[in-house]
This record gives sequence, C-alpha cells and structure tokens, in this order.
Amino acid sequence: MAVKKRKERAFGGESGNSKKFKKYSNSKGPMKKNKNDTRKKGKGPRLPSALRTELDRLDPKIASDSDDGIDLDVGNDVYEYEEEVPQEESRKNRRFDPVENYDYELPEDFEDENVPSDDEDDDGDFGVGGNKGSRNDDVDASDGDEEEDDERHLRMLQGVTGMSTDAFGGKKKRNSVVISEAHPESEYNPTRDVLEGDSHITLQDLLDPIQGKAGYSKLRKRVQHMDRKSTSVQAPLPKVDREKLERMAVYEHSKKDITKWEHLVKRNREAPTVFFGGDVDLGFSTVGAIASEFEPRTEFEKKIASLVYDDKVMEAHKADGSKLLELNKISEEDYMKHRDHVAKMRSLLFRHEMKQKRIKKIKSKTYHRLKNKDKLKVESAEMLMDPEAAKEQARKQEFKRAEERLTLKHKNKSKWARRILERGLNAQDEGTRAALAEQLHQHALLTRKINTVKDSSSSSDSSSDDDDEGSNEDRASELLEKAKEKTLKVLEDDEELPNSGVLSLPFMVRGLKKRREEAIEEAKLALQEYEQLEGTNDAENSKPATASGRRVFGRANNEVPDSNKKTKTDNKMKMDNYYGNSDSEDDLEAKANVNIEGCKRNDVEKDVGPNYDRKEAADVSIFKNFDDNGDPGSKTTYEVAIFASDSWRKMKSENGVDKNAKKLQQVKEAIVHNKDMEEGEEDSDSEREQMVDGILSSAPKESYELPSQSELIRHAFAGDDVEEEFEKDKQEILNEENPEPDKPVLLPGWGQWTHVQQKKGLPWWMLKEHEDAKRKREESLKKRKDAQLKHVIISEKVDKKAEKLQTKSLPYPFTSKELFEQSMRMPIGSESNPETAIRSLNRPEVVKKPGVIIKPIKFVEMHHHEKSEDYKRSGQKQKKNKSKGASGKNKKQSN
Amino acid sequence: MDGHRDSIKCMAKNPNYLKAIFSGSDDGDIRLWDLASRRTVCQFPGHQGAVQGLTVSTDGSVLVSCGSDCTVRLWNVPDANLADSDNLSDNSAKPVAVYVWKNAFRAVDHQWDGDLFATAGAQVDIWNHNRSQPVNTFDWGADTTISVRFNPGEPNILATSANDRSITLYDLRMSSPARKVIMRTKTNSIAWNPMEPMNFTSANEDCNCYSYDARKLEEAKCVHKDHVSAVMDIDFSPTGREFVTGSYDRTVRIFQYNGGHSREIYHTKRMQRVFCVKCSCDASYVISGSDDTNLRLWKAKASEQLGVVLPRERKKHEYLEAVKNRYKHLPEVKRIVRHRHLPRPVYKAANLRRTMIEAERRKEQRRKAHSAPGSIVTEPVRKRRIIKEVE
Repeated sequence: MAVKKRKERAFGGESGNSKKFKKYSNSKGPMKKNKNDTRKKGKGPRLPSALRTELDRLDPKIASDSDDGIDLDVGNDVYEYEEEVPQEESRKNRRFDPVENYDYELPEDFEDENVPSDDEDDDGDFGVGGNKGSRNDDVDASDGDEEEDDERHLRMLQGVTGMSTDAFGGKKKRNSVVISEAHPESEYNPTRDVLEGDSHITLQDLLDPIQGKAGYSKLRKRVQHMDRKSTSVQAPLPKVDREKLERMAVYEHSKKDITKWEHLVKRNREAPTVFFGGDVDLGFSTVGAIASEFEPRTEFEKKIASLVYDDKVMEAHKADGSKLLELNKISEEDYMKHRDHVAKMRSLLFRHEMKQKRIKKIKSKTYHRLKNKDKLKVESAEMLMDPEAAKEQARKQEFKRAEERLTLKHKNKSKWARRILERGLNAQDEGTRAALAEQLHQHALLTRKINTVKDSSSSSDSSSDDDDEGSNEDRASELLEKAKEKTLKVLEDDEELPNSGVLSLPFMVRGLKKRREEAIEEAKLALQEYEQLEGTNDAENSKPATASGRRVFGRANNEVPDSNKKTKTDNKMKMDNYYGNSDSEDDLEAKANVNIEGCKRNDVEKDVGPNYDRKEAADVSIFKNFDDNGDPGSKTTYEVAIFASDSWRKMKSENGVDKNAKKLQQVKEAIVHNKDMEEGEEDSDSEREQMVDGILSSAPKESYELPSQSELIRHAFAGDDVEEEFEKDKQEILNEENPEPDKPVLLPGWGQWTHVQQKKGLPWWMLKEHEDAKRKREESLKKRKDAQLKHVIISEKVDKKAEKLQTKSLPYPFTSKELFEQSMRMPIGSESNPETAIRSLNRPEVVKKPGVIIKPIKFVEMHHHEKSEDYKRSGQKQKKNKSKGASGKNKKQSN
Repeated sequence: MDGHRDSIKCMAKNPNYLKAIFSGSDDGDIRLWDLASRRTVCQFPGHQGAVQGLTVSTDGSVLVSCGSDCTVRLWNVPDANLADSDNLSDNSAKPVAVYVWKNAFRAVDHQWDGDLFATAGAQVDIWNHNRSQPVNTFDWGADTTISVRFNPGEPNILATSANDRSITLYDLRMSSPARKVIMRTKTNSIAWNPMEPMNFTSANEDCNCYSYDARKLEEAKCVHKDHVSAVMDIDFSPTGREFVTGSYDRTVRIFQYNGGHSREIYHTKRMQRVFCVKCSCDASYVISGSDDTNLRLWKAKASEQLGVVLPRERKKHEYLEAVKNRYKHLPEVKRIVRHRHLPRPVYKAANLRRTMIEAERRKEQRRKAHSAPGSIVTEPVRKRRIIKEVE
C-alpha cells in the first residue's frame, strides 16, 4: 500500500507538473542485500542523448532525489509515454470508492521495497513488455497502469511461491522511482526516505565499495571510533522559534540596558524643582570680571587711572600697607598751616552765623522798613549805574508780573475774599473792604506793563494799558454800551427755526424755544442792570470829573449815596447768578460779566479812602470801649473783645458804648459762673474721697468675716442668672438649627362654617405628620454632639460659603489628615516669611528659561556615596549645583 | 500660519534652532516656517504624493522627508541667518538626495545624535544618510507600520506602531525587534519621554493615550483620557513633564506626564481635524497642524506672560502660582482652575462618553454582585485595552 501511495503521489506530482513522461530509475538502494550483484546494465530503450539532457534540464530534481552519486552515471532509465492518471486513481474529490483490499500487502511491501534494489539488471524489454505481459487480475487496478501490473505480478509470484523477490530477480522490474517532487523538502513535506524508515544509508554501505583500497582500514577504524562515541545531533529549531528566542534575548538585554536610567529618572521625579536650560553663557558673571574689563576714556577717568595705577602706589599695595603710609607723609609745618587755616575759617563762619542770628531776631518794624528801603535804594542805584542790574531787576519784575497774571493771587480769589463777597458788601465794614481794595491794587500794580524796561512789547498791550491808566470809567461805559447794543441785537433778531434735520423734530423745537425765551429774559435783565450801572457811573463821574488817577478821590467821597452801594451789591448778586447760569454760555453774558466786574473794581477802589477812615474810627472806638470798661488787664475780657470785635465793627462810634460794656459784662459773668461750676465740682470730688476714706477707715473696726469664694461670686453676680441665659441661648440655637415643626393648621375659613370640622378637629394625617416631625426633631437633637454637654454649644450649622473652601476628602498625595493640615498651615507669602525663604517656598516645579532649547536627558554615572549625599542636600543647595555648569543637574556627578 | 494648499500631515521641529518648524502637506508641499514672524521662509517642492513624514537631524542640517510616492528625500536646511536676510530671493530648495524604494512610506524619524533614520511603511527600514538603500530592514507581522519614533535618550531603541493594533519595540544594536504589545485599537502615534528614556506614551484610536514603561508592557502605567475622538498625534514637551496631543475631535490638549486628565484644551472655531502637533524646543509653545491647511501656534501655558519678565514680577507670578497650587484641592479653587469652555460637539460627546462608561461600569458591578464571588474579575483600565504581549 505504501508503494501505491508513493506512486500516487508521484503521479500527482507529475500531473501537477503536467508532464507526460514518466521516468523510471534504478537508482534505489542497489547494494542493500546482495553486494555481489553489482553489474549495471542499462537495457531500456535508449533515448537520444539530446533528449535526455533536455529532460534533465527540465527536471533537475532527479539527480538530487537520488541518494548517491553512483546512480547518476548509470542512467539506464526507461522513458515511456504516460497516460493521464485515471480519475479513480487520483481519487479526485473522492468520487470513487477507495480500495481497501491492499491491507494484507503491507508487510511484503517493505520487503518489496528492499528487494528491487538489487535488480539492477532490469531489462528494458520487461519494462516495455510489461505492458503486454500478465494483465493483472486485480479488479480495481486500472488497466492502463503497467507498472502497477508488474508489481502485482511480482507480488503474486511471491505469494504463490513463498520465496523472496530475489528469486524472481530476472523478472523483477526495477521499481525504484525517481520522482520529481513538487515541493521542496521540509518538515511538512518529507522525503520518501523519511517515510520509509529502513532505507537509510549507513556509513558501512558507503565504506563497502572501497574495501581493500588504500587507507580503508584507517578509515574504518575512525568510523568505528566515531560510532562508539556518537551522540545524536538535534535538528535545528524552526525559524519561528529561533526568532522568538532571539527577540526575547534582545528584549531582556535592552530592558537591562534601559534600567540604568532609573536613578536619574527617580531623582528628577523626586526633586521639588527641576531646572532646565541653566547652562546659558550670559557673558560676565561677576562684578570683578566686569571691572577688570574697564578702560578709562574721559580725561577725569584717565587722571584717576594714572593715580591709581601709579607704579609706586601699585608696588606699595603689592608689598605692604606700611609703604602706603610713607607715601602719604606730609611735613609738620604744612600740617600746622593747614590746621590754622581751617580753624580760622571755622571761627569766621561761626561769627557770621551769630551775626545773622541776631539780625534775624530783630523785631523792630522800623528797622526792617529801613532795611528794605536801603535795599531798594541800593537796587535802584545799581539799576542806574549798572545796566546789568537793571536788566536783572526788570527780569524779576517781569517774572512777578507773569506770576500774578498766571495765578491771579490778588484778585480776591482767596477763600476768605470769596466768602466776604458772597456775604455781600453790606455785611462788611470798611476794614475788610479796604483789605479787598488793597489786594486789587496790588494786582493792578503787579500786572501793570512795564514799558520802560521792555520797549518791544506789542502795541495792543500798550493800548490796553493806556486805557487802563487813562480812563477806566470811560472804557467801562463804552463797554457797557457795547454790551447793551449786543443784547438788543440778540433780542431783536429772532432766529428762524430750522426746518429739516434733527433740530426740526418737535421736541427739539420745543427745547430750542424754551432756551431762547430764557436767553431773552436774561438779556432783558442784563439790560436793566446796564442802565443802572450807567446811572451810577454817571453819578460818580460827575463829581470827580476833573480828577484822574486813583488816589485822588480822598475823603470827599463820604457822601457816597446809599443807592450806589445797593446797586453794587445787586450787581454782585447778579454776577453770581450769571456764573451759575453759565451753562447757556452766551458770549454776551460773559462780556457783561467782565464789564460788571470792571465797574465793581472801580467802585471798590474809589471806596478805599473812606473805608480806611472808617476803620480807623472803629478801632478808636473799640479802644475807647476797652478803656471805658476799665478792666483792660484781664485776659479773658480782652480775648472776648477781640472775638467780638467783628460785631463791633458794624457799629459806629456814636452808638453802643454802653451796649458793648453790657455785653462784656455778660461774658465775664458767664466765665465767672463757669469757674464757680468748676470749683463746685472739685468740691464734690473731695467730698467723695472723704467718704471713701470714711468707709475704709470704718471697715476694720467692725467684726468682719471673710466670705467664701462661692459666696463672693454669688454676691458679685447676684443680679444676672448666667446659667439660665445660656440655657436660653442654647435653646435658641437648637431651634434655629432644628426648627420645631409648625403646628398643623387648616386653611383659614376652611370648613369653619360647619361645626362638623370643629368637632372633629384636625384630620388624622395632619396630626400624624406633626408627630413624625416632632419625633424626628427630637432624634436629631439627641444625635447632636452637644446633647450630653450641658455647658457647651456645638453648632452643626454648615456654612455654605465656607464649605467651598474646605476639602471633603483627603487630597491624593497626602496620607493623613495631620500631614495635610500641616502642609496648609505654613504661609508662603512675603508678609510672613523672610525674603530668603520665599524663593524656595514659591519655586515652581519646572524652572526653565524661555528661548533656551532643552536637550533630552544625558546619561551620567552616579556613584554610590554621592547618591546618598544627594538625598541629604537641601533644595537650596541642590539648586545651586544644578544651575551651575554645562549639563545642569548632572554635572556634579560627573566630577 | 497659512500657506499650504492641503491638509497638513506632518511636522518636524529643528532641534537646533528654536524658531524653525517644517510642515508637510497632502499635496506634497513642504514648508519651513519662521515662528517669530509666522511666515514661510522656504519651500521644498518635489514630492509627488502626500508627504507622510518629516524629520530633522539632531544638528539641524538635514531634513528628511518621505511620502506616499515611495521616495525618501534628503534636503539641506537653509541657514537660519541666511533665511532671515533674503527670504524673498530664493525660497525653494532642491533635494540633496532622492531614494526611491519599493513601497510607500507612512512615517520617518531621525535618530538622536546619529546619522540613521527610520522609515515606516510595509516594513521598518533603517537608513543611513549616505546610502540609497536601507541599512537594515525589520519585518515582524504582515501589516503596515504607521508610525516610528526613536528614543531620544537611548538612541538605539525605537518604537513603531502598526495597523495590526500593535506597538513594537526594536533595538538597533542587536538589529532585531524586541517586543510587541497588541492592543484592542490601533495606535496612531508614539512619543518617548525625553527625560525618562524607559517611558513612552502612545496615542490611541480609542480616544485615550497610554503611557508605558518599555520594560513592563503587560500593563500601561497611566491612561490619559479626555479626548472624545481618535488621538492623531502626540509629542512630549522637552521637559518631560507634559505632552501635547492632537485629536480628530478638532482639539489640542496638554496632559501631565502622570495625569489622568488634561491640563489644558485648545480649540478654535476654524480649526479642523488635528493631524500633527509639536512642542517647541524650549517647552513654551505648542504648534498644531490641522486639516484646514493651517499651522497654529499656541502657548504651552495659556496664562503665561510673554516677553521679558522682571525679577519682581516673576516673583509675584511665582507666588501666585504657588498659592494656586497650594489650594488646588479646595473645591471652589479646583472648579475655577478646571473651568474651560468647550465647543458644543466636544462637550456633548464628552457627556455621552461619560454616560456610556458609567453604564458599562454599573453593569459590570451588577454582574459581579449577582455572580459567584471571584468568578468575575474587574480588569483595571490600564490593562483592559491590552490584548497580549507578544514575545
């Protein structure tokens, strides 16, 4: 059966190759059993050699399949045309029943295999004739298969005679077949030899042919030797397994290799801060390095450098400090001289200081006045003598003028002046008025253009100046008239309302109208005032018509009409109004204001003279009053008088001497009363002390028992029941945190019109609910932490806002609550830490410099002792080490 | 920064020059940008198909690009100063070398401090600058490799991810693959931690990022969740403390290296699917390239003050930061710190995801409660998405 199988396979292989030739070879094991039968005859029908080579070329496996080279030269192959394998034979798709009746042949088959080996002398005619001869009696065997037939024939003979096939040697067809196999040899596709275990060629077989030749015995000995010590060599592992092993080895190796990084990685991970890019060279590192690069450039620097880098000095520095001292040596005389000089200068300075101090202390007004006068004189003299000084003076004057114009300091803008002006001129006496006027005068003086000094001033300025000096009044009237004209103009020409645009909208139109009306009203008012003003001006002008300049008015103005004054105040008030109304911002109004102001100024200036007089008179009267009082020495009265003087000034000298006296007396009395009161108080104090003394002195005399502590406390806190209060507080808090359930109530009016409800009372479920709520509350009260603690309240209220700022569970890296709390406890701000500690406290985990390329990690060997040292290092030190050097943190290890 | 005519597929930063960033788009255009002026400095025309990978050598002189036209191109990076001076005259470069290979490429990465680079495609190829053929080729499994990254700390180790949902480690010294881990979903990109050479993080299709220790691949070290769609790209900050991810949900997020949730989210109305993200070399900026053909430059720390900060000011900032850090556990503080406005789709998707995960969890809990104790074991999230580790 094995044979058959083999053949089938051979057929299959052939059909696979689609070859129509079958090749028989006698190469199979020729020397197995009968060694003497070594004659070799190729007897088959010989093919032409060309055809044979062609065949060889086509199927080179023929050669390789044969076991040894001996057969190659035999070449007595038989070729014959081969039909296609019948379908039954190839068992395609198992359409045909398999034949089972070969089983019995199995043992012989093996023999059979061995047998044909010696049939070298297989004659060709058998092969050819085989076809014709002995048709097989096998039913199923295909008729076309000649070889099969031969074999079967042989087997039959064997079976009949019981002899080995050797006996039928002559008849036996050479049946060893060289088969070209479709697949290369492998474990899945074993060769025939593997399948037929017996057909191994032994070394003995190989040795036999050379028996008797030279070196045979030697060879044989060696072979025997080998045989004794032979060990079986295992077949190489399959490629898959081999690769797998290789990969495992590689992985293990690389694993081991990569583990060397572990300590570096560990250190990096454990470090509180990792530093990157610390190896950037920024040039000079120290001040010394920068200083060494310094080169003197300017004259001064060169001079210093020549002194500093003087050879002698340098040498002295290098050698010793004492030599430096030698260089500094000066003679005794020089020193004395220097000292005297210094002393002299000091004494001079001192004298000068003393003198200045004395002069500064002088209070005499006359002295100062004289001094100032002297100064002025000197200055003016200088001005005359020295053009430089004159210029200087002019410059100063100019500066002052500019300052005045800038600040308007003397224009009654101060708080005091404004207040007085607000109160109205009526409320003022001559003194204040004079003061105001004085201020204005100062202003005028200061702002006056100095022609003499600077000729190149603009013409407009000078003209205005002229106006100012020449006829203030004229100008004022002119301005007034101008203003009048303009107001009239405004009144006259009513503007036409715009017809289009936003302004034509109805509400805009209304607004515009309103505004215009207001403006007209104001203009009318202004006109009235102008008229009044003109009137007064006229009145004034009429009297001092001949006079020019300011100070000529003199005392003649005593009878200034009251009406005038009134108008002035009116003016002022109006002015205020105008300022208030400045929103309208009419040009006209502004002008009017200016005019009015101008007028006012004039008036005030005119009033200067008489005011002074009045003031003086008032002063006199005051002093008189004091005299009359007859008690000028007393301090209190004096003060009171000064305070009261304001009110007095309102009065004239004729009236109120008595009144004043009365007032003073009243004040005095009040003060005296106060004093009495104080004395009384003192008295009472002293009395109290006496009383206390009395008690103290009386106490030890009685039999007194010391009270116990508790008694004392009870006495002390007799009034307040603290415990009860606390109870109450606690109850309140409890109620607040666990509120008592509301009493069940029905809706008002619900079921009340019938008495049924009232009789029944509340429904049961309401009551039940209430009960439940009560129970719950009691339970929760019992559960409270302070339920058993009588004197303690532990609030269980949760503050929602505070809750947001508290963790509910322990955060990840911390293992215990205490640790976490400890970490949170220490503040990190600059308020509660020294400057040195802040940096390390606040340092981020990764410190890198922007714009510096970070290279991947580099391996550095770490020694054992340094490893331990590394752990000990504090963060500060570590940082220093890391930031230093090229490869940052690892540099130290490399050293 | 706009200029590309198609969606941006890949970017590369110059490890030696802070201001430069390269970007490659789907239409084969490669551009060099100046981050300070936000303008294109130079263009590298040549690719026929999409540019799939870009990388720059460590010294910043050679740019390597690969694309779906089966070519690897090497370019000389123009000198920074030169580019500053005359950017108008000559702003297109020619490749130094073009290597044509058998299959299309999906990614490329350059070795740190070496002259090797790796391409990913049908297999993983290791190339040398001067050779027109790969020096080495790895092939483990049949599926296409989609991303490759060298380990910057350990330059001979590289990790790739493939279409068969696997992440593979290779060692160049033994020129052999080392280990493979297969997950339930595909990994789009991988980034090694530059400060911790054993750790890498992978951007997964299932909206999460997974941090692995290369030595223990049976479970992830950390799962970073927050995205609501596939994470397309990932890049570590050079500090190794955080990484930035770009996602298909049109957002860019910044994660702590050990944080389960993102620290920051960036989005704008006009930003479409984000395909690539990079962190600048000084760790203070983030660059994202998206489907809308634009590159966007973000601050790595949104509230950070730019420009020169005087010492006093810095101290103040540090103090405020420290205070925030100290009280970060308090609910109100946490709420304010974590508060972000999200685009509506993202917000809704996040809610939906949360609901789904919660439902799953509940179901499992119930199943556990109603079955014999010990019969149902809850697998931790770190392991759940890993199918197996292949040796």
